[in-house]
Amino acid sequence: MNVRELWQKPEARFLILFLTILGVSFTVVALRQVNDAFVTPYTAVIARMSGLVLRLFGEKATVTGCVVSSPRFAVTIYNGCNGLITSLIFVSGVLAFPAKISAKLIGVIGGLLTIQLINLVRIVSLFYIGIFLPQHFSDAHIFVWQSLVIIAGISLWILWAHKFALPQESS
Amino acid sequence: MKDATQVFLRRLPLTLIAAVAIWLALRPAIDTVVAGFAQTLIRSFEYPRVTRLVVEDHRVQMRRTDLRTDSKVPSVSMNEITFNTIVLLALYLALPNPFSKRQLERLFMGWCVLCLTQSINLLFHVKALYAMGLGEWSQHNYSDLARNVFGFGRYFSDLPGRFSFPFLIWMGFNWDAVMKMLRVTGDENKKRKSKKENK
Repeated sequence: MNVRELWQKPEARFLILFLTILGVSFTVVALRQVNDAFVTPYTAVIARMSGLVLRLFGEKATVTGCVVSSPRFAVTIYNGCNGLITSLIFVSGVLAFPAKISAKLIGVIGGLLTIQLINLVRIVSLFYIGIFLPQHFSDAHIFVWQSLVIIAGISLWILWAHKFALPQESS
Repeated sequence: MKDATQVFLRRLPLTLIAAVAIWLALRPAIDTVVAGFAQTLIRSFEYPRVTRLVVEDHRVQMRRTDLRTDSKVPSVSMNEITFNTIVLLALYLALPNPFSKRQLERLFMGWCVLCLTQSINLLFHVKALYAMGLGEWSQHNYSDLARNVFGFGRYFSDLPGRFSFPFLIWMGFNWDAVMKMLRVTGDENKKRKSKKENK
């Protein structure tokens, strides 16, 4: 089987495109220039949004860079906590999937917003876990919320493929 | 017949809870296997063989037999390295017939590959610490190229790897089931085309 024949197969084309986009995007965000120009300001925006939500809940939260603090607790939002990696996996899946451009656009915009919403819930909930259940903060941060965010990203991708990317079967 | 995708998505929250329980129960064994294999890999390329990885309270301590006994012992959280087992288990268990012989074989193979990626992640943590974190000793014993290689390896096996490997392994070992669920196959495309032509 030559490359052209392989490319004709939709599942093979999806796999090749998915791995390529994923690898390239992970490499690009690792570059120092991209990190300084995009990743760090992006994480700071996430921190500001988290601070805003916490203030809406009555917490006296202040934000300095990527640090969200209140008199009761403080968290630093690092690269792994900004939802970027999950977003990249999701976007790679959407872009590589055989679908119309309009469906991909809906997927990318809707998916990124949903992942960020879930991530916001994660940060705010972790902040309150840090205040009320500090002994469980590490467990909630590492294996509960990280697993949830990854599963949410994968579920969103499957849901998008099911609802928007695939042609609806006529009954 | 219920749609396979809907069934999968409905099962996923339950299988996630089950996966957390399984991981918590097996965590000591997973820690030992991952740290043991990482130690074997590190010592395979080490002369003299001085690295010892000791698991204590879900953290792996990087001990070297040539360090002074009063030296501080660096450690890495094993939870951060192995938590993605939860994701792999949840995805596997949500597929149809998860306890059939074929699916259990696939789970075993996928889990072994995931353990290998976790060991490689730990290896890069240890080697990056040796190459960059021990001051003059690191400067003397490791080249700039080695520092770049181990730094690059640690970055890729860390966040991108931990987050994407369970998904990739699950998809790879269940390629037919996942592609069927997503209806991305050459046969499905032919069916769609013939449907269109019939209309």
